[in-house]
Amino acid sequence: MWETFIVTPLTNVLLWIYKLFGGQFGLAIIVFTILIRLVTHPLMASQIKSTAKMQELQNSKKWQEIQKKYKDNKEQLAQEQMKIYKEMGISPLGSCLPTLIQIPIIFGLYQSIMLALAASPLQLLTLTRSVYPLFNAPALLPLNSHFLWMNLGQVPEKIFLPFLSTSIPNLTLPIIVAATTYIQSKLTMPPSANPQDQSAAMGKMMAIYMPFLLGYFSLTFANGLSVYFIISNLVGILQYALLGKVDWRNLLPGGKKGVEKKK
Amino acid sequence: MKVKIILILISALAMGVLLSGCATGLTPSSWPGVVSDGKVAYVASATAVYAVDMQNGNELWRFPAKADAKKTFFAAPVLTPDGQLIVGGYDHVLYSLDPQNGNIKWQYSEARDRWIGSVLVANDLIYAPNADYNLYAFNLSGAFQWKFAAHEAIWSAPITDGQRVYFGAFDRTVYALDAHSGQLAWKKPLEDAVLSSPVLTSDGKLYIATFGGNVFALDTASGNQIWQFSTGNFVWSSPVVKDGQLYIGDSSGTFYALDAATGRQVWRQQPNSPIFGTPLATSDHILFGSEAGDLYALDAKGQNAWKVSINGKLYGAPVAAGDLILVAPVEGQSLLIALDQAGVQKWSFTPAKK
Repeated sequence: MWETFIVTPLTNVLLWIYKLFGGQFGLAIIVFTILIRLVTHPLMASQIKSTAKMQELQNSKKWQEIQKKYKDNKEQLAQEQMKIYKEMGISPLGSCLPTLIQIPIIFGLYQSIMLALAASPLQLLTLTRSVYPLFNAPALLPLNSHFLWMNLGQVPEKIFLPFLSTSIPNLTLPIIVAATTYIQSKLTMPPSANPQDQSAAMGKMMAIYMPFLLGYFSLTFANGLSVYFIISNLVGILQYALLGKVDWRNLLPGGKKGVEKKK
Repeated sequence: MKVKIILILISALAMGVLLSGCATGLTPSSWPGVVSDGKVAYVASATAVYAVDMQNGNELWRFPAKADAKKTFFAAPVLTPDGQLIVGGYDHVLYSLDPQNGNIKWQYSEARDRWIGSVLVANDLIYAPNADYNLYAFNLSGAFQWKFAAHEAIWSAPITDGQRVYFGAFDRTVYALDAHSGQLAWKKPLEDAVLSSPVLTSDGKLYIATFGGNVFALDTASGNQIWQFSTGNFVWSSPVVKDGQLYIGDSSGTFYALDAATGRQVWRQQPNSPIFGTPLATSDHILFGSEAGDLYALDAKGQNAWKVSINGKLYGAPVAAGDLILVAPVEGQSLLIALDQAGVQKWSFTPAKK
């Protein structure tokens, strides 16, 4: 089911783009990521709106009052919160749903990349059976997995350090993945004046954890996934910028203080 | 808030675990590679290379003694005249083992990708194809001599006539190199990638099949095309030439006999499932396996001499070992099965779990 409806169609879209771009699989991943971002753009825009509304709500007097009033009665507090959500037309899931939708896309994309690159005979056999008849598969396969300095189907290659007589993984991609993830988190973090703002605190926490986590993933998994992460982060920043939601001052040291002073 | 943070961390961990689970590219897989000197069979399959007694199918040793998920082997090992067993791993390491006990004699770790194709031992050199696009040459002590870079991966063993070494690559090209220096003699672009090994005949012809289903006869001196035959389907296996006829199977399950001089089809048979393994020519028959697990023995006119059903899928080539024929099925009950020349099973080998 998963293979038929997610992995195989994604793989064939990748193959179509690969063919279109003259057999450059790295370019195919980049174009595919941009396409995915464009398709999910409406979801992202609604997520940004929901997050803004949610912050506005959490900073409101009414919200803070019920927090105090029902601090010892969690059940009542939840009911009151739901009432306010309804009144203001906010869906509590609205801010995390687009992120959740991305997770199966990441799994599907990763499996598609691995399937398309077919790094062993049995994988190539599986791939030949996944290609739609509209492609001339024998002429198209196997794919060229080389892009820039890397093999997209492999984990980062090792670099020999003569002075230590040992090899370490090439950290270029994991560092770029971690850096772009951090920059995206910082740039897109909405300002919050309320020290009790839970979502702002969580955003800060995510800005610290996610770069490490995705950096670790790109160290452990195939380079093709790292290309997806990097392009996805860069396009994400661009999307936020186009929606006017990027705060470039967040990147500057003490940028937050600057914001507060102005207020 | 603590609950939310814990939920986020759990989700992140779950994502990592799920990605690990679907990271098929990092869990390489293929079909077993087999070689035998008639007394011992050596089988490279997943986490070990097994030495199996040809008398009774008992395990003599395995390398490594304890399975290591990072070390996997599928390329058929190759015996050298001076008593080495050369086998490449998917861990990017080429090993020379002692055929008596599986101890490492030397190893080469500088390749950047997997050793998927078998090596060729000839001219006091070891020619080793790697998926990092290079054909490496070592002397029998394992000292690096030279390497030649193709433009894409090399998955199949080269062949030599003593003067030149010939091989095909994913870059849709057949290369002919000086066998001693590794200098390019000629290269012939083809329409499709080459996954299988070429075959040489004494009259100076090189036969090679492409993934796209074409079989070519080339002149070894110049690389010029003599004839071309199209099967119209994927071809994984190498051709086999015997008594003026070339034999090859394709992914549609058709098995062809061509006139080796002209490329004209002599006959064809279509058993019940795809054919991926290289055929084996014995003194009396042509043998080939199918994905359905059937091993067929045909005579030179294409008549079925016998057929035996094996538990599992036959992707690899049947291997001649003295009077016996060895097959190594995928997803079968046994890793290695020995049959006599009439297709009767003599013994089977299933590795004990360690």
